[in-house]
Amino acid sequence: MILALFDTSPRAASPRGVAPRGVAVADPPPDVASPSVPEVSVPGAPAREVPVSEVSVPEAPAPEIPAPDVHHPRVDCMADSTVGLTFTVRLFDKDAREIAASQVPESAAVLLRLRHHHGPDASLRLPLTPVAADGRLRAILPSTTQLPEGRWDAYLSLADEEPQRLLPGVHDLRSLVSGGSPSDAHAWLGVRIPYTTKNGNLAVRAWLRRPHAEAGTLRVEDGAMVLRGRLHGARLSATACLEALPRDTAASPVRVAVRPDSEGDFGPERAPEGPERTPEDADARHSARDFTVELPFASLLPGHQAWDLWLRPSAYEEPVRLARILDDIPDKKRIFTYPSRRVSDRDGAIHSVKPYYTINNNLSVQVTTENGQAERE
Amino acid sequence: MHISFLIFSAYGMGGTVRTTFNLAQALAEQHEVEVVSVFRYRDRPFFEPDNGVRLSSLVDMRRHRPTFDGDDPEHARPARVFPAADGQYKQHSALTDRKIGEYLSSTEADVVVGTRPGLNVHVARQTRRGPVRLGQEHLTLATHSARMKRLLRRTYPRLDAVTTVTEADARDYRSTLRLPGVRVQSLPNSVPEPDVAPADGSRKWVVAAGRLAPAKRYDVLIRAFGEVVRERPDWGLRIYGHGREADKLRKLIDELGLYNHVYLMGSANPIEAEWVKGSICAVTSSLESFGMTIVEAMRCGLPVVATDCPHGPKEIIRDGADGLLVPTGDVRAIAGGLLRLINDEGLRTRMGKAALSASARFDPAQVAARYEELMTSLVNRRAGTLHRARGTLLGGAYAAREAARLGVKYALEGART
Repeated sequence: MILALFDTSPRAASPRGVAPRGVAVADPPPDVASPSVPEVSVPGAPAREVPVSEVSVPEAPAPEIPAPDVHHPRVDCMADSTVGLTFTVRLFDKDAREIAASQVPESAAVLLRLRHHHGPDASLRLPLTPVAADGRLRAILPSTTQLPEGRWDAYLSLADEEPQRLLPGVHDLRSLVSGGSPSDAHAWLGVRIPYTTKNGNLAVRAWLRRPHAEAGTLRVEDGAMVLRGRLHGARLSATACLEALPRDTAASPVRVAVRPDSEGDFGPERAPEGPERTPEDADARHSARDFTVELPFASLLPGHQAWDLWLRPSAYEEPVRLARILDDIPDKKRIFTYPSRRVSDRDGAIHSVKPYYTINNNLSVQVTTENGQAERE
Repeated sequence: MHISFLIFSAYGMGGTVRTTFNLAQALAEQHEVEVVSVFRYRDRPFFEPDNGVRLSSLVDMRRHRPTFDGDDPEHARPARVFPAADGQYKQHSALTDRKIGEYLSSTEADVVVGTRPGLNVHVARQTRRGPVRLGQEHLTLATHSARMKRLLRRTYPRLDAVTTVTEADARDYRSTLRLPGVRVQSLPNSVPEPDVAPADGSRKWVVAAGRLAPAKRYDVLIRAFGEVVRERPDWGLRIYGHGREADKLRKLIDELGLYNHVYLMGSANPIEAEWVKGSICAVTSSLESFGMTIVEAMRCGLPVVATDCPHGPKEIIRDGADGLLVPTGDVRAIAGGLLRLINDEGLRTRMGKAALSASARFDPAQVAARYEELMTSLVNRRAGTLHRARGTLLGGAYAAREAARLGVKYALEGART
């Protein structure tokens, strides 16, 4: 008779978050401390995940309430210290009045779609559940969920309707500023930064790397650049080197030795970025290692091309791309910029050399031949 | 009361738009409030008014719309009511003159509020008999040209009240313009409580935000931060905003070798999420008619190191209690102020907390209550007196005499600003 009651008035009999005893529950209720890991699903496939704590009645499924007419849904994002992301959605009707969580079908979800990709790994559904505190709907991307590298566009998925783009709200990313605590507990290093796209929609920029070589302070000297960085997930051996690989494969790679920094070596060259490091956790638990490397500009001459910078932990290991991803800034290219230096090659031709970050936040160096500058020098 | 705000464009993202919406929304708790935008450039405003605030526009500048007014020949003829002395004269036209005039002569509002001098002139000259006429000054009298000052002296006597954003500017209005029968009152801009938890003072970043314009003196801030870095290389500076100084500032950062410590971040909206990533706010302007960013940062729990420039900062910050005031343009003093807070975490945290509670006085609800008081008393005063006629006559007489007497002085002031 309980089932009959559900059939006539499913919402009244089964408030969210309450599971009547003796009835099968699809999933354990979520909580912030131990969020359930969402499944990666094929885009367009019927939504399988039963939102948490919904009572399922196999023979006579409780009819879902019809999806409300949602206009301009916004989402507030919050990054926690373990680099999990919480999405809190605010839904509005056509008169810009906020829609209550109880008006939203329980299958509602935040849908992340990897731009320019299709297939099972290109879509992720994060179920929306009401928060007791403010009655809003919330979805969680746990730090334990891997998000393949790229730009993930965020959508609101309501019942069978075509998902609609989510608009950015207030993004509290302060815990990302100093790199958060990229956990080495996993076998990978994941960074996810919510941002506003050119069209004003919400997307999440993701990196998934291991090992990872994080670029830190970079000084442009007269004839060289001096880079400090930190290697995550690999050890620096005595044969560790920086490799500059030319985009134009006709030139040969340039290799220079990398010097591991000793404890407390972060003297006057310190910069505000990068997590605070205590000596005891440097190598043992985190296996992260700070290094300094000096790349002479003359080694990149002559020529007119870009060089991509990699770090090879040892002669026997694959090189790791140098990048700057451990903070709250999704696009480094325009914010982390460096002066250029003019350097002459053996024949006296002048080149302009300038380190820069690519659109994917990888570190490269651009060498530009300055025509007609030679005589002036 | 029915309150109507007249604004250049409610579709922009500048300070006047923000503060007008904040005030309108707070007043809408008790009153019928509309915002009338002279121009409409976008389908949707950056800041969506809610709480029942009605938004309408007079001239449609959206090219893709059949209602587009930009090609109207009337819009090609110069404005006669909107004054040439106002910086936005060029955008206005005979069409805006007519549309604004039609709106003001038929409005049902009890109180009409103009939000910049040019629009205040419209309100003074074209509002039908009946409604209270209120003109807001979001800049300062001192920064207006001599021509503008003469115009205001002639026109403002037909207003019931002029509001300024600082007490210092209100004093200027009272002493230099002398507007008989016109209430001159300072009412600060309002800033709502942010949607993020306040900063806790633990992050090693100084944050600044605002247009990259010469008056903001970010060059001074960058030089001062160079001195900070020499002592505390573990701290950084983020500057939010865009503007024509960007390239110059970029060069300065590179020249001083500060590119690992000072970052030009571009614009951010909402800015509150960026304030809380830092622990100290820096404002090094040579001029702040109010100082909206100071209040915004304080509402996020940041102590502010600000130059003691005219007029806003000293009316917002209590020096040594909830922030620090330093001499304008003084690189060493600014660096000193920043280092004092950087090197003393206890002081930083205490001042941050003091800033958080002191800035509550700028909450829209509190500012709106003061506006409501002013508006109510003006509506009541109007109800029974003929003051308008008297004020206008007196104002006209004063204006003629004073303009002749002060013409030379105004010209000098104009040259100085």
